[in-house]
Amino acid sequence: MSALPPFPGAGYPDASLLAPAQDVGAKQKRTRKVKSTKVVDGIEQEVEIEVEDSGGPEWGPRESLKVLDKELQRVDGPVKVSGRATYTHDVRVPGMAWARLLLAPVASLKVARLDFSACKAVKGYLGHEVIEAEETRWLGQPIAAVAAETSEAAEDCLRAIVFEWEARPSVLDREAALKPDAPQVSRRGNQGKPAVRGDEAKARAAIEGAPHKVSATYVVPVVHHACLETHGAVVDWRGGEEAVVHCSSQHTFGFAGDAAEVLGLKKGNVVGLVEHMGGGFGSKFGFGQEGEAAARLSKALRRPVHLMLTRKDEFRMAGNRSGSHIEASAGMDAAGRLVGFAARAHKHGGIGDGSLSGLPYIYKCAESWSEISGVRTNLDASRAMRAPGHPQASFATESLIDELAYAAGLDLLEVRKANLDDQVWHRQLERVAREVGWFEHPHRARPGSAKDELCVGIGFAISRWGGGGGPSCEVEVAIERDGSVVSSVGSQDLGTGVRTYVAAIPAEELGLPLSAVVARIGSTRLGNANGSGGSVTTASLAPAVKHAAWNARQAFAEVLAPLLGCQPPDVVFADGAVQAASGGRKLSWKQACAALPEAGLRAKGAWQAHLQANGVHGAQAAKVEVDTLTGRVRVLHMACMQDVGLCLNRAATRSQINGGMVQALGYALFEERVVDAALGIQLNPCFEDYKLPHSLEIPKMTVVLDDEDRRAPIGMSEAPIVPGGAAIANAIHNACGARIRSLPCTPDKVLAALGKVS
Amino acid sequence: MKSFALVNPTTLDGALEALRAAMDRRGRSKAALLAGGQDLLTELKEHLSEPEVVVNLKGVPGLDAILVEGDLLRMGALATLSAIEGHPAILERAPALAQAAASVASPQIRSVGTLGGNLCQRPRCWYYRLEEAKCIKKGGAECFSYSGRNKYNAIFGGGPSYIVHPSDLATALVALDASVVVLTQKGLQTTPIERFYTLPSEGSILKETILKPDEILVEVQVPLDALARASAWSKFKERASYDWALASVCASVEKDAGKVNRARIALGGVAPIPWRVPAAEALLVGKALDEATIAAACEEALRGAEPLSENGYKIPLAKGLLTRVLRGLA
Repeated sequence: MSALPPFPGAGYPDASLLAPAQDVGAKQKRTRKVKSTKVVDGIEQEVEIEVEDSGGPEWGPRESLKVLDKELQRVDGPVKVSGRATYTHDVRVPGMAWARLLLAPVASLKVARLDFSACKAVKGYLGHEVIEAEETRWLGQPIAAVAAETSEAAEDCLRAIVFEWEARPSVLDREAALKPDAPQVSRRGNQGKPAVRGDEAKARAAIEGAPHKVSATYVVPVVHHACLETHGAVVDWRGGEEAVVHCSSQHTFGFAGDAAEVLGLKKGNVVGLVEHMGGGFGSKFGFGQEGEAAARLSKALRRPVHLMLTRKDEFRMAGNRSGSHIEASAGMDAAGRLVGFAARAHKHGGIGDGSLSGLPYIYKCAESWSEISGVRTNLDASRAMRAPGHPQASFATESLIDELAYAAGLDLLEVRKANLDDQVWHRQLERVAREVGWFEHPHRARPGSAKDELCVGIGFAISRWGGGGGPSCEVEVAIERDGSVVSSVGSQDLGTGVRTYVAAIPAEELGLPLSAVVARIGSTRLGNANGSGGSVTTASLAPAVKHAAWNARQAFAEVLAPLLGCQPPDVVFADGAVQAASGGRKLSWKQACAALPEAGLRAKGAWQAHLQANGVHGAQAAKVEVDTLTGRVRVLHMACMQDVGLCLNRAATRSQINGGMVQALGYALFEERVVDAALGIQLNPCFEDYKLPHSLEIPKMTVVLDDEDRRAPIGMSEAPIVPGGAAIANAIHNACGARIRSLPCTPDKVLAALGKVS
Repeated sequence: MKSFALVNPTTLDGALEALRAAMDRRGRSKAALLAGGQDLLTELKEHLSEPEVVVNLKGVPGLDAILVEGDLLRMGALATLSAIEGHPAILERAPALAQAAASVASPQIRSVGTLGGNLCQRPRCWYYRLEEAKCIKKGGAECFSYSGRNKYNAIFGGGPSYIVHPSDLATALVALDASVVVLTQKGLQTTPIERFYTLPSEGSILKETILKPDEILVEVQVPLDALARASAWSKFKERASYDWALASVCASVEKDAGKVNRARIALGGVAPIPWRVPAAEALLVGKALDEATIAAACEEALRGAEPLSENGYKIPLAKGLLTRVLRGLA
């Protein structure tokens, strides 16, 4: 995870600061009139307002937008719900072979025998590749790949491999890894170099001198991305100079080069395709060992190869969110201000280093100190997962703030505001508090009593994210003589709604309905695009789409101006028609397009810094019911308020925030990778035992988009997964006094925290 | 899964014959019975079961019948869980059974999952379900849950295996004093359902029932008496949608002038078999179901529990469930 970009300290910068530099001296300032909606005495009226026309693309006033900032049905919704969308899993090409991987079944082993003779005898066997012939050091590490005529034959081949090994000593958890005589996971040892921030002595002194202090350990287990589409690729090479590679990837332009290298082809001769993809959440940036195995088999067989991980393989080798173990102490003064904070934290990222955001999370503190290090185990390396390191830091910090507030007898909402200068968080916290009924809630500074069988509690937490973009996308908007409009860029849509706004932005610019524009994405044959991670896609891609659409409009206006008897800047594109600003002749879109040359019109667009912004906040409240007889936690209501800059599609944004809250509910109440350290295996590598929330777990969810934020579009999708977990854990305590410092908050832990388990 | 031959008999005799034909000389079976397939397919896919022959019972007509003959409920082994949960006579005269059926898995699974399959399903213990853990239930030497991750395992009746029986219907049917009808190679045999299930210390460690590989469970009978009418069910799932019981309770109580005449209580999710608690039942007899009596019965029901390292919570949980069920029957 990269460090967060600078963040506006108090409120938002003035919108004018974000406007592009203008060459005022060159020509007189232009203005143009746009239609807008104004509410007078509660009644919406259409009015015309004058806005500055800087001469470059602008998002324009929110009130004038017809497509963006509205509730748009996603353009690929129908093909997805009807099963017609082709995901990498669904790709079938002539002559395709099916491949499977053999994974290390235990945490660490030395290969004693790897014999393919029986495998070769299986009907349908086509070939195999050895990936690791000597030794493995993490559970699920790929050892070999086999390819066969059918998927069933591939499984038979896999089982026919004679694979014998000697288990080597391994460590699967933090405690075992830190023992002095522990088996060493890597030559770098079992513990990474600590990252230290602040002065420990000063922080501890501040805590010591505070009237209220709490010391506790907060634990977050390893959780999985649980993408509905597993990792994998279809490598379509049949000999020759060119290949097509389909991959379930967050970076269409990232894997083709890897595939080319394995196939021995030029990068430019390998086409990467991601037509639709079923979730990545940070786990699908590279081609992966599964992709490389598919390419190696394809190269050996000179046939297309389909290799998608099984669900069990996915759990064992396709990444995870690192766990954390945070020993924290903090002190609070009588006014509820954090005066000292000290934390020693371990990240649990398997053979990787894991991630953990800075501590304390977001809240200011006069004297803070933290020491964060990774503890290595013989499990697969963690990968980026939606807001890497943030939920763990949030859980520890928000739990600790609650514990201190109760110790000081202070209102949980007011304590948070007392430690936040930025007023945006204040208004967001107050709004979500109101949404879940905080101001009528009886337990605002003291938890409820577990004597009641059913207790209701409320908890809060906040988040932040950068979400700004950068130059990388090359977009083309084409207008054809028959009136069709195609907006194209190679970017992938992870399910976030990219495809929809790639069409919606030109629709807005050209005065057309969304349905009039076709979005074409997911291919390296189209313009370059960034990988989708760190919520950078919207702020990187949307400005480039806008720029291309604006350029198309400018070029089209040049063609139309003589027909309409006006100057190009005075051509108005609105409501599916074109007309001079002064009125007169009106052409329908179809009529106007007929004026184009046979080849139509093509315009390119690139990133524009002023069309995006950076830095979002976010606040969530959770209301839960705890059954103190059984330990059942039922989330009744989750509310999120989120700033996003200009919202490109309110329905998709809300959906993504809902998704973040559901994922937070999952890691708060259910999700955990369970391993047996003695056997060196994962016990829940399937959706039956790795429990995700299903339909009955979904609470009432309220999403409030922070429309006071007038900035340009910002990526925000990491932020909504962060606060929900801490908010739910805090709500459980608020309901009945059960403080759970180790996620997930399962019924056994609730009963134990209530003192009911002897 | 491993390839197998599918046999589709159209009579029970044909099915018996197919099972007999699949026995080897040492009395081991190469066959598996297929009804709704909801458990069998998971076993086949993880290679826990690798039959050479799968005998499909779906082609045998009439096995899915649900009949009420006077005060006797007769359910064919192929009756689906959704048919049981929605059957008017069951809802009225043995409500706990309908509630138990409705608490199983998901609507999709209940629409194909059958009574017989539910009663004969294999354990869900994660060690058992992972091919790479060769546990005692699969012919290995050890029950890994004993010293391993045992949150979901047994607090009663364990040793040498600590599985819990996963069938919700079995727990309900024990409380309802049901019987199972088994077609053996010699003819039909009726057994109280309590005796159908075996503890790991009693029967074969490799199975959970007395059913032999060449036998077929064909019917379940439930007396529709006053006891069944006053029955209630509660299942606690860690996740409300689609999950197994951390613990469940079925109780049926026959009262006379406010006092308990007869009671049957069974706990699920706590033992390798549906766990009947006779001492708690006896404690209720002759008493009104007031809070003090209920509390005493709950204590009695969980007396003697031997939790493992991670499942002590099942004691307060089961008490909580039983408290609510008995309150509902008061």
